[in-house]
Amino acid sequence: MSDETAPPESEYPEAYYEYLARTMGEQQAAWARLSREERETELTLLHLTSDSPDDLALWPPELNGGRLPG
Amino acid sequence: MTTPLGFMKSLTTRLADAGLPFAVTSGMACVFYGLQQTTKDVDIVLPDAGEPRVLDFFEALEREMPRWRVSYRPVFAAPLDRDYMEHGWTSHLSLWDEPNSAEHHLDIFCRPPRVIELERSAENPIFASRHVVAMMKRTNRDRDWPIVGALGWQLKERHPAQALLHLQDPQSLLDVWEVSPSDVRTNAAERRPLLRLLPDTRGVDDLSAWLRLERLLWETVNEERYRLYESAWRTFYRRWRLDDSFEWPTSEAIRAQHERLREAVRRFGLERDPLGAAGREEIYERAACRAIVRADSTRAKLERVRPALQEVLP
Repeated sequence: MSDETAPPESEYPEAYYEYLARTMGEQQAAWARLSREERETELTLLHLTSDSPDDLALWPPELNGGRLPG
Repeated sequence: MTTPLGFMKSLTTRLADAGLPFAVTSGMACVFYGLQQTTKDVDIVLPDAGEPRVLDFFEALEREMPRWRVSYRPVFAAPLDRDYMEHGWTSHLSLWDEPNSAEHHLDIFCRPPRVIELERSAENPIFASRHVVAMMKRTNRDRDWPIVGALGWQLKERHPAQALLHLQDPQSLLDVWEVSPSDVRTNAAERRPLLRLLPDTRGVDDLSAWLRLERLLWETVNEERYRLYESAWRTFYRRWRLDDSFEWPTSEAIRAQHERLREAVRRFGLERDPLGAAGREEIYERAACRAIVRADSTRAKLERVRPALQEVLP
């Protein structure tokens, strides 16, 4: 089962990007305006040039944040 | 070197070829939906995660040329067994898809929290739908809630009934409510009781207060839910670490690691069903009591935004 009835990625109204800027920050809102291909290219560059943190950060401190053997 | 995006594509192609139903969710799905700029982990919903053929799949990766390496991660990695995965545990693996590859993290959900039915994106069915991602993002992490609201925004044109479930911006919520047919309103309000307050709301500030209370309830339920798994793992892991034979994870092949972990959970007692053992109603009630205190609110007010147990702890 799938969810949406309007498959192509569409432009969102300006209010959407204002909402993103307000809740996530200007940089995130600017990134969201890029096409999907451009976003993937940016993320790939980021992965190749920096060691961004793991997305999962709720491990018990005694277990070293989930990164190292306990 | 394979990037996390390249790894995701490589892995999902193989999952599809193996006939294993799956959906990419969380961070990578948010990248797809234009809502998360940085993530490295690949999170997947794998409804068959506890079935033997999933372990067979990872073993097959180890036989590929060039060879993949597959390993459990050190913490919180419940065994890929039905007994655990069907009770809401997640399993966390590291994979290397070529000899000099970076370590890729794969987090596997069999029964993702708060998700009643696995829906896929109509744009690309390898991804979980916006609705599923929004349900999974109802955590106690502040950074997840703007994503819930933004997914609600994206659903306004695509699926207004689901948008009503997720919008966090009061004016947008009022706008969508205004134009929704009565059957859509009724059905959505069954799932999100806060919507019943909209006809009588005294404006966006009033609605903001109700939205904060509702969010606090979801956050607190997630805290209570997560704490049970965390506590179960800690108790088990502490016992296991005291054992002379403790070594985890090992450099063995994934099946040998799996057998080692299965033996450990048997010997040192990892609770299979933390939610069932604690009781869902009791967990929800404890969370409700805490949310009232944290919001400096009242039972009567909380009841007006409190979703059914099946919505928050299915």
